[in-house]
Amino acid sequence: MAGAEKPNLMLISVGTILTSMILAGFLLGFFVDSLFQTTPIFLLSFGFLGILGGILKAYKLLTDPELN
Amino acid sequence: MSASEGSSGGGTVEYIQHHLTNLCVGDCDPVTHKAASFWALHLDTVFFSYALAALIIIVSWRLGRSLQTDVPSGFQNFVESILDFVAQQVRDTFPGKNPLIAPLALTIFLWVWLMNFMDLIPVDLLPLLASFLGIGYLKVVPTTDLSTTMAMSLTVFALILYYNIKTKGLIGYGKMFLFHPFGKFVIPINIVMTAIEELAKPLSLGLRLFGNMFAGELVFLLIALIGGSAAIGFGLLLVVPLQVVLDLAWLIFHILVITLQAFIFMVLTIVYLGMATTSDH
Repeated sequence: MAGAEKPNLMLISVGTILTSMILAGFLLGFFVDSLFQTTPIFLLSFGFLGILGGILKAYKLLTDPELN
Repeated sequence: MSASEGSSGGGTVEYIQHHLTNLCVGDCDPVTHKAASFWALHLDTVFFSYALAALIIIVSWRLGRSLQTDVPSGFQNFVESILDFVAQQVRDTFPGKNPLIAPLALTIFLWVWLMNFMDLIPVDLLPLLASFLGIGYLKVVPTTDLSTTMAMSLTVFALILYYNIKTKGLIGYGKMFLFHPFGKFVIPINIVMTAIEELAKPLSLGLRLFGNMFAGELVFLLIALIGGSAAIGFGLLLVVPLQVVLDLAWLIFHILVITLQAFIFMVLTIVYLGMATTSDH
């Protein structure tokens, strides 16, 4: 039962997970940049990683929800 | 549910902006009435969320004193069915046993649902009553304020961190950051990716609830504007029924939305905490 419930419920949030991972990447990059005074470098690279991670995570959730 | 004060106050944009402005005290912008720094408090959000929390406490306290074991009353039956529903969700999604999870899930479900329910009260009613008391701005739905939803999701995030460190240990939790998505050859990228993934959990929790409730409130405001923006006269015969029908339809649909959002917030909290308490990732 637990195996059947969990993936279904996680699938509800695929859309927001994608967007919030992109957002989280840019936010983390912005924070690191303001810490080290290196403005566009980490913002852009972490943002890119966030986009990549978001797409990857959404793909994983949709193709193999058991793993999540 | 009319927008009469909006049309006299200078148009539809002002009406909507006025309704979406919190009662801000402390360090607020004098023109926009928005918080200018961290040291500002949305008094209406705090008031309504605490009042609803007090309502939950008082009702459950009163019910707890008059529990019947042989023939439960209708209300006790109703509360028991909610309890059973939440307990079933926890059993289904949470691995192992933890005395905190079920009460936490129940609290989140009831509190978020009640805060969302404020959306179904006619949009102009409480602000109008408040304006008689001299309160200029009032936003009655606490979950349409990002402060509420992010505060709740950050609390959940703190619990996620706590349980992660408690079950895996500080080193075990750190290891999760090192080798997670891409194996052991790109450790710096792994650290960033896992950090982003962890940070995305509270962000998605808070933003989803805020977004859904804010959009719902905005639709209620737009429907309220239909009647208010029509000129007094023959046009009202057409416009008022339209407003009533649209408002009723959106109201009924919104009952589903508020329940679903409260449910999702609760379930994802259970799922995330369940992930945090399992040692093998």
